[in-house]
Amino acid sequence: MSACLEVERVDVFRGETRILWDISLRLEAGERVAILGSNGAGKSTLIAAITGALPFASGDIRFFGRSLRGRKAHEVSGMGIALVPEGRRVYRDMTVFENLEMGAYPKPARGRLRATLEEVFALFPKLAERRDQRAGTLSGGEQQMLAIGRALMGRPRLLLVDELSLGLAPLITRTIYQSLAGLDRELTILLVEQSIEQALHFSQRAYVLENGRIARSGPAAELLEDPAIRRAYLGL
Amino acid sequence: MLAISVMNGLVIGVIYALAALGVSLVVGIMNVINFAHGELYILAGYFSFLFASTLGMPFAPAMGLAVALVFLFGLLIERLLIRPTYGNDMYSLILTFILSIVLQNAFLLIFGPYPNKPPLWVRGASEIFGLFSYGNQRLAALVSGAALIALVFLVLQKTWFGRIIRATSQDRAMAEWNGVNTTRLNMLSFGLGCALAAAAGVILSPVFPVTPTAGVPIALTAFVVVVLGGMGSMWGCVVGGLLLGLVENLGAAFISSGYKNVFGFLILILVLLVRPSGLFGRAKL
Ligand SMILES: Nc1ncnc2c1ncn2[C@@H]1O[C@H](COP(=O)(O)OP(=O)(O)OP(=O)(O)O)[C@@H](O)[C@H]1O
Ligand SMILES: [Mg+2]
Repeated sequence: MSACLEVERVDVFRGETRILWDISLRLEAGERVAILGSNGAGKSTLIAAITGALPFASGDIRFFGRSLRGRKAHEVSGMGIALVPEGRRVYRDMTVFENLEMGAYPKPARGRLRATLEEVFALFPKLAERRDQRAGTLSGGEQQMLAIGRALMGRPRLLLVDELSLGLAPLITRTIYQSLAGLDRELTILLVEQSIEQALHFSQRAYVLENGRIARSGPAAELLEDPAIRRAYLGL
Repeated sequence: MLAISVMNGLVIGVIYALAALGVSLVVGIMNVINFAHGELYILAGYFSFLFASTLGMPFAPAMGLAVALVFLFGLLIERLLIRPTYGNDMYSLILTFILSIVLQNAFLLIFGPYPNKPPLWVRGASEIFGLFSYGNQRLAALVSGAALIALVFLVLQKTWFGRIIRATSQDRAMAEWNGVNTTRLNMLSFGLGCALAAAAGVILSPVFPVTPTAGVPIALTAFVVVVLGGMGSMWGCVVGGLLLGLVENLGAAFISSGYKNVFGFLILILVLLVRPSGLFGRAKL
């Protein structure tokens, strides 16, 4: 197996404030990995650093061997990394179809827009029904499907999902996880979650982020059984 | 009298709408207000005067060249004056204000204080529905202005460029994650905003000649239209522009021509009292 994403001893600052300390992680191609952590642990900051929205101070991040250092968000997206951002951030005044089109803006994806659109509609038939509706009028679950669909339209090799379950009913969350589980096994997925149960069922491995540091890592099944984790994150 | 006032209102309204679309585009994408918008309108008028009257070019290529040059000038302004101020909107406001003064004085120095007028595209007048006769040049201005507005909407709705403009003005960071190079888009949309002012200038200058300071009321009106229509709303620009043009001309014809500019502000205040975010603006939380 070759590494899809390697994060190597990365520090990240927001302004003067240090948010992440010495983060290292590695995702093999096709793996599904979760990053768990409570409020303010630095999960979204790590996502921002990977996607080029925030620069990282030291260390390196490599995507299939190519360094992402110094690359802007639009370049990173063109390399095949797509993001489902925290809070979904659909373009509210644009239609469902136009949102999906925006996902296919990166050059390599643009030419295959029609074909990818069929795949996304097959994955989320709801989106096909609502194709010409303004995205702002969709329900929370539909907006999350749209945000995922938009990311998939870029035909990424790595999909980053930040807080998939945020503000969604458990049943909807489960349905969306099932759809993600059915995606092409070539696609590497990195999930970031506060509510860990479903994330751990979905993933093969997980890292636990605490106060900006990786506190633990291991196979998902192992973490799910761990009493300390269950107490901290599931309130058991 | 009524019909003529309405026609005059529509002609100037279309021009207001074009100028306001340029302002709105730049505000929506960059959150920057270009205080020199009116001077770029005037610059295009002078260019088209220079190319057509002085150098004897046919009017259409002269106009096209004038708009293209102002577009390039706009790219240059963005690169040199605006880009270094990202993150501080006050600086760009002050810098473009200074630019507007500099341009006004340059116009005065080069072209003098007298009105300059590019040649008419068409002469004579036409009977409208057999009711009244109206100048052909003004009709041509109305038609070409309306056609240009339609083109702007077509581009916004149907092209990749329009799509990324709409996406970026809604959520800039998300657009970057979707692969939009927003630095380049800023430059391009600033240039286009300037080009829209220039288009308004070349269309209207054969009717209302240009002077060094004639851009000031145009820019002010464009800002009023943007607020009236609702910040960031393109439809607001069109409706607001036409409304303001009509109100000004009807007010001048039937109440008093001395208060022409007052009517616009009255309408603005009335609309904002009822709808604080403008005609088509959405209330921000
Ligand atoms: N734009 C910002 N400027 C300064 N500090 C920030 C900014 N965004 C986040 N932070 C701080 O960085 C730390 C990590 O935030 P981050 O958003 O990465 O956490 P998170 O793990 O994603 O949390 P959540 O579960 O709430 O989304 C927090 O202490 C937060 O206050
Ligand atoms: Mg977060």
